[in-house]
Amino acid sequence: MTPLMLAAGLFDFSFLPRYSSYFIKGVQYTLILSAAAVVLAIVPALLLALMRLSKSRVLRFIAGAYISVFRSTPMLVQLSIVYFGLFSVIILPSYMLFGFIDISMFIPGVVALALNSAAYVAEIFRAGILAVDQGQTEAARSLGLTQGQTMKLIVLPQAVKNILPTLANELVTMIKESSICGTLMGIQELMWGAKTVATTTHIIMAPYLVAAVIYFCINFPATKAIEALERRMRRGDVR
Amino acid sequence: MATSAKPIIEVRGLTKRFGSAVTALDHCDLSIFPGEVVVIVGPSGSGKSTLLRSLNLLETPTEGQVIFEGVDLAGKDVDINRHRQRMGMVFQHFNLFPHMTVLKNLTLAPMTVKGVSQQQAEATARELLKTVGLQDRENAYPIQLSGGQKQRIAIVRALCMQPDVMLFDEPTSALDPEMVGEVLEVMRGLAARGMTMVVVTHEMGFAREVGTRVLFMDAGRILVDAPPQQFFSHPDNPRLSEFLSKVL
Ligand SMILES: Nc1ncnc2c1ncn2[C@@H]1O[C@H](COP(=O)(O)OP(=O)(O)OP(=O)(O)O)[C@@H](O)[C@H]1O
Ligand SMILES: [Mg+2]
Repeated sequence: MTPLMLAAGLFDFSFLPRYSSYFIKGVQYTLILSAAAVVLAIVPALLLALMRLSKSRVLRFIAGAYISVFRSTPMLVQLSIVYFGLFSVIILPSYMLFGFIDISMFIPGVVALALNSAAYVAEIFRAGILAVDQGQTEAARSLGLTQGQTMKLIVLPQAVKNILPTLANELVTMIKESSICGTLMGIQELMWGAKTVATTTHIIMAPYLVAAVIYFCINFPATKAIEALERRMRRGDVR
Repeated sequence: MATSAKPIIEVRGLTKRFGSAVTALDHCDLSIFPGEVVVIVGPSGSGKSTLLRSLNLLETPTEGQVIFEGVDLAGKDVDINRHRQRMGMVFQHFNLFPHMTVLKNLTLAPMTVKGVSQQQAEATARELLKTVGLQDRENAYPIQLSGGQKQRIAIVRALCMQPDVMLFDEPTSALDPEMVGEVLEVMRGLAARGMTMVVVTHEMGFAREVGTRVLFMDAGRILVDAPPQQFFSHPDNPRLSEFLSKVL
């Protein structure tokens, strides 16, 4: 093979018509996987954030430790530990969701991503809660509301406003990061689709290029939209 | 003032330190009787806010007691939320809840804290809104109101809990000058109806005309505690004379 032929081969997209379903199913899988992970992360993240802000040193320490561990180790390592450790003990039945999502693979993937995401989302929540004017808490407490009522009725509803854009950014991160699920555990998301097409057709690079374009076409507009939303929120009060 | 009546609030040896360097309150003693309007004045940083915020324990005393209706609020087993229901507080920056309409701002605490029915809470809220002339703004959000309107709503929000005492921390300091009057008017009305009030303010006219007693604070201590007539006409404390010469 001359270098020229090799270069041409890199950009050989003849596989597309035949293998398009790998990419279409893959991107659907990726979106479902990432969205599920972020949604699943929300409740634990809120708990972690409240623990971090609590008066109890023990709670603060536990939450702080969790967050530090998950933020200071690679996602691939966390995923390996959860998948080969935790889910070698827990055996899940093989059941197809929507006809193409095997839950025995999907659940470990989602759990691993969510455990990681919870650490990041917790910090997003904490910052969002701290950004609410202290005067709001004082007003609520002066009326006799308990700390819990104040958090639930006054602080959190206002914090959500600060949190939403950052939470959307976390979803963008997850869409990208979830690609390692395909590589590590064979979850049939977009990256797995690209890899499978590449190995089956012996076309080395083009399938990955297609995957990159798809990731870009989702994440770039999403990021721009989030930035616009943030600008708008900073300018005026969006209720 | 009524010497036979029992004080509604009694402060004994109240000291508040922030860290080891700042002593915001230094052994303050104070008795407030039902129906009194106690006005607190003093230079910036003298501890006025800290004293006021200690009364409902927004600041936890380092030492000393705050006895409200016979209960030491700083005591160990005190359910502070129960006592706070009977002490309204009005803040310099209003602190209305921006994500709720005026009506929701007013009914939230009576409904969540006291378990008043929505119907009852709204009836009370509308009644009180009328007294401050804002009955047509119940569906507005705080952002749609002027400063003076916000502060009048904040006063009504506190009143909706039917408190025994109202605490005001510089309620007119954040207002444009033309809106100060409408808020002071509401406060005068409250005083006239016999509400016990503790007011931190720079409005010397209000102190003179509405106050039953005026306190002068400096460096965390209550240096003067006198009826307004004596306070303004015969200031017998050099620090107070100096302060008055600056503000009057
Ligand atoms: N949360 C805090 N942490 C540290 N220091 C504080 C805190 N709150 C108040 N202080 C200090 O305590 C002292 C009294 O403050 P305070 O706010 O009670 O004064 P003030 O008389 O209300 O002043 P101003 O007229 O400016 O409102 C000041 O030296 C202030 O810096
Ligand atoms: Mg102050």
